[in-house]
Amino acid sequence: MAEFNVNVRESGKVKVLDLHGYLDAHTAPELEAAFTKLIDNNSYQVVVNFNSLNYISSAGLGVFMAYVETMRDNKGDIKFANMKEGVYNIFDLLGFPALYDFYPEEEEAVKKFDSSDNSEK
Amino acid sequence: MNKVEQLFWDLGKKIENIIIMVVVLFIFKVLFNIENSIVYLIVNEIIVLLTFGIITVYFTDLLKYKITSPISVIINTGIFNAIIFFFGSLATKMPDSPLELHANKGIFYEFITTVITLVVIFAVAYIFAVLRSLFSLWQKKDNSVMFNIMIYFIMASAFSATLYHYTSNYDYIKNAFLVVSIILVMINSIRVAWIAFLTKKQKLSILALSVIMLIIFIINATLSFDSNAAEELQLFSPALLTCVQLIMIYGGIYFGFVFFTTLFHLPTAEAFDRKSQELSSMMDLNSLMTQVFDFKELAETITTITNKVCNSDSSWLLTINDKKPVLNASANISIEEANIITKLLLGSENEHPTEFIIFEEDDLSKYSVNYINFRSIAIAPLGVQGKINGYLVAGRKEGLSFDEDDKKAITSFGDYAAISLENAKLFKESLEKERMEKELDLAREVQYKLLPIKTPKFNNIEIVATFIPAFEVGGDYYDFFKIKENLMGFIVADVSGKGISSAFIMAEIKGVFQSLSGLLIKPYDILCKANEILCSSLDKKSFITATYGIIELDTGKITVARAGHTPILYCNKQKIDVLTPKGIGLGLDCGEKFRKNLKELEFYLKNDDILVLFSDGITESKNDTLEDFGMNRLTDVIRANCDKQIEVIANKIMSEVSMFSQDYRQHDDITLVIFKWNFNNKSSEIN
Repeated sequence: MAEFNVNVRESGKVKVLDLHGYLDAHTAPELEAAFTKLIDNNSYQVVVNFNSLNYISSAGLGVFMAYVETMRDNKGDIKFANMKEGVYNIFDLLGFPALYDFYPEEEEAVKKFDSSDNSEK
Repeated sequence: MNKVEQLFWDLGKKIENIIIMVVVLFIFKVLFNIENSIVYLIVNEIIVLLTFGIITVYFTDLLKYKITSPISVIINTGIFNAIIFFFGSLATKMPDSPLELHANKGIFYEFITTVITLVVIFAVAYIFAVLRSLFSLWQKKDNSVMFNIMIYFIMASAFSATLYHYTSNYDYIKNAFLVVSIILVMINSIRVAWIAFLTKKQKLSILALSVIMLIIFIINATLSFDSNAAEELQLFSPALLTCVQLIMIYGGIYFGFVFFTTLFHLPTAEAFDRKSQELSSMMDLNSLMTQVFDFKELAETITTITNKVCNSDSSWLLTINDKKPVLNASANISIEEANIITKLLLGSENEHPTEFIIFEEDDLSKYSVNYINFRSIAIAPLGVQGKINGYLVAGRKEGLSFDEDDKKAITSFGDYAAISLENAKLFKESLEKERMEKELDLAREVQYKLLPIKTPKFNNIEIVATFIPAFEVGGDYYDFFKIKENLMGFIVADVSGKGISSAFIMAEIKGVFQSLSGLLIKPYDILCKANEILCSSLDKKSFITATYGIIELDTGKITVARAGHTPILYCNKQKIDVLTPKGIGLGLDCGEKFRKNLKELEFYLKNDDILVLFSDGITESKNDTLEDFGMNRLTDVIRANCDKQIEVIANKIMSEVSMFSQDYRQHDDITLVIFKWNFNNKSSEIN
């Protein structure tokens, strides 16, 4: 089966998840585990970098839906960045852009978190 | 004829031979006196030895199938020896010498001595057969050659005795053969390997028996060398006397060996007992493993056998569930007690032990376990492929605490038990899997039943619908509704995820849309309402994409809204529009965003216009390099065939998809619905 892995790194206060490979029903639990860990560590500001993700299935989309509420309830969010066209089309068709923030570059997404933090202060 | 019947038939034949020989012997003894002629003497020896030989063979065959416990056979030997001793002493007590008796008493006396001698022959033959059987009992190698050589020498001694009897010369020949025979007898007496396989109790019996046997053989041997009885036998047949002498010597030497060997085996008898107990327990478990697939039953048996293997008073079996040891079975201890001890010994540590542990009396009092009177408790981890998934616990209330030897025994038994438990678990899982597959079949059936059996007929519009379910049940759904006269509704939807849950959700949306299509007209209203209803029942991770539309059958006006579903393909004179009116999937947002983002699309169909709705099972069909079939291939096929019948278009699309993805298993349900507007065609007139 197709490979998938997820890598977590920090960019300031924001956590960045790098996704690689194929995200489907079989590999979704791995991403779920990563999100659960973030929530356990009280990290609610998350940028997902889709740069090396080649495919996402409906089960993969479901992972974001399952966790976004918790993030938003804790003044955080899940923001999407660096998405390939094919993957973006799937999100787009489903109407995700109306519900999530998409950015062409990861830095922009990170900045967005910082500026929203500042404006709150 | 089976083996046993064959054996008894053979034995029957042998008994016939014996009877014939005995009769011949009687006749010969009554009619001829061996002292008269060398010919008589030789014939006499041949008849006597032949009788003896046949009887011995008969007993040997009989014993071959009877020798399960050497003890009973040895006891029989003792009895026969006693018989020999009885007649031997009887003869010794006689007042006159046998030679004189023979001369005086005549035929009647001859008859009596023959009867008594025959009894002795039977007894000696039985004893010899027993010695022969013991000789080869539980031997790995066939050593019968040595035994046969011994028999030849015994016979040589016997005939040289005959010679000596006749000539009173050449006693050195007789003595030479005797010496060699005795040496061979000694060599053959070493074969006492069977003692090793006896239990301690049996060894003790054998030790006592062998002393008795030794004494009685020595007495009988002495009798056979120097007594009236020996003289009597000499007169009957000198060869037979030599045979008896040698066999008595053989018996004496053999049981001497048996005595000493058993004596030396006694100290290790207990260890041997335990090893053989272990071995037989393992064998018990082995046969159990192949027969019992019930986890509980297996666990119970394992605890019972554990007590046997390591001589413990109580034992219980734990499996790790959710990182906690859980009691599965116990032997000779109450569940409460076992749980308390487990908690005291294993519960306090976060990390469960991975090595074998022995708790001595001091350790136990440290853990305050001692009130249940255990002197020693051993805990063996049960691991398969390096992963520990349980523990076998054994406890002793008295005697010594567990030692290295017990550790080895419990560990090796534990390894075995772990494998058998794992097997039982896997078997259960495969049963479970089978059941799941049956349920999937059922779900697939349900899904089929929820879809329209036949595409409905409406005025002015042709409809074709194709559905191919995936191996794992997907959640595709399509349907057509007759809302009013000249108004048709349609839906194509796809539930995220697969399996039974998707099939359930699909059943739900069928209900939702069927009722909503009767209450509301506008696709926008219907989808918004459906979103509201489904939001309350869907879990966070699930969503549904759907396209709902209505067509006015008298005007060709179509109103359609798309909730995250695949685009609607509109083909007008070989030009294809990919229509994606804005809209979020059902269940993705339960608030205002869904309403705000959903847009309706309205347009009029012209004659021969084609509308294609599909599920992502088509565009996401993959080939062996994981490439998607994609939208472009789909539009190409439609464009190339748009002037054809819609059934043809549908077939073309499906064959292209299946050719493209022939090396890759169909992952998702495939749904394809095609409309063609045909205003005022003939079929509409018929309708």
